[in-house]
Amino acid sequence: MTNRHPWMARLSEYVDGELPADERLALERHLETCADCRATVTQLGRVRDLAGTLADREPPRDLWPGIEARIGGAARVLPFGRRWTLTMPQLAAAAALMIVVGAGGAALALRGTGTPVAGPVAVVAPSGDPTVIPATAGAASYDQAVTSLGRVLTEHRDRLDPATVRVLEQSLQTIDRAIARAQEALATDPNDAYLSAHLAETMRQKLNLMRRAAALVAAS
Amino acid sequence: MDDPTPAVDSPKRAVPDDAVDVALAQSGDTQAFERLYRAHVSRVFSLARRMMGPETAEEATQDVFVRAWEKLGSFRGEAAFGTWLHRLAVNLLLSQRARRGRDLARHDPTEDALERRASRGTRPELAMDLETAIGRLPDGARQIFVLHDIEGYKHEEIGDSLGIAVGTSKAQLHRARMLLRSHLEPQTEDRIGP
Repeated sequence: MTNRHPWMARLSEYVDGELPADERLALERHLETCADCRATVTQLGRVRDLAGTLADREPPRDLWPGIEARIGGAARVLPFGRRWTLTMPQLAAAAALMIVVGAGGAALALRGTGTPVAGPVAVVAPSGDPTVIPATAGAASYDQAVTSLGRVLTEHRDRLDPATVRVLEQSLQTIDRAIARAQEALATDPNDAYLSAHLAETMRQKLNLMRRAAALVAAS
Repeated sequence: MDDPTPAVDSPKRAVPDDAVDVALAQSGDTQAFERLYRAHVSRVFSLARRMMGPETAEEATQDVFVRAWEKLGSFRGEAAFGTWLHRLAVNLLLSQRARRGRDLARHDPTEDALERRASRGTRPELAMDLETAIGRLPDGARQIFVLHDIEGYKHEEIGDSLGIAVGTSKAQLHRARMLLRSHLEPQTEDRIGP
């Protein structure tokens, strides 16, 4: 068979345009006199073209519940520390963290409950809904989430009410300053569990605030 | 390998909406991840069904999305989420196939069945649709056909992923097409063997 059809094993390469020029010319000379190979070339091309038109299909049942059960168990809560006695540098850092109360106004605005609250309302307490990140992720995942959320909010800020954007940006600036001060204090006293806990809490508040804003963008 | 088509119903939606849900999912929002699942499950499931077979496609699809959740932190938006997810799915499915292949007997009866049907010529009533015929291809030929002709991978990429030579990938693709053509051309009685 291959004596009569020496190019048979290379016909798919020919159909895909992958043969070098000299081989392609030789094969085409063969095709001029071989009806079988011409037919095969047509069939191979048809198979390839048909494969490219295959439609995707939905699974026969909803697979999400099984996925949700598995990733629910794979989530973890950001760690929060216990309360400790404060030293002077720690007090300074904690005072900086109190500035975070400004985020409360943004949170109210993002709930869509009305006019954003201009001034401090209350100290933002640890919320009941824990911020979870994939179990295999760590600080890099947090940074990536903040980066992605920040990019989304920048690209879609025109979907949000300008007053909301203003409050959001001010609150995030405040939180970032608080985070920076806490990090500075931690640089002085890196083993301080209280500072670590407050830094984690402040970072969580930032993430929650950005998530609420992104959720508003998604719903807009 | 096409990216998910961006929504174009509004100029504000020029950026694929995936970006918002990806960012939310990265922050731990499972509802956002569910939306990503619903947007992409048909593509992942179809890939799994073609590469793994219908028996294990559902479980494999779930494995892909669980792995995607675990790896979301490494997604940096340099490619579309759909592209990233698809690459992750291909890698996971290939590794599962390799593991399963070690458990399979050397002799695959489905290969003989397809070869016998091809060798005796195909009558119209025996013609089957392409999806079914793909499912009956020998494992090696099937995965390369799926990756190349359906998913659009190059032979070089397939060779890298499977650890095989480019020539082997080309030979397996040709073998798959030769087997499939007889099932799509019921009038072909003068079939030439490979």
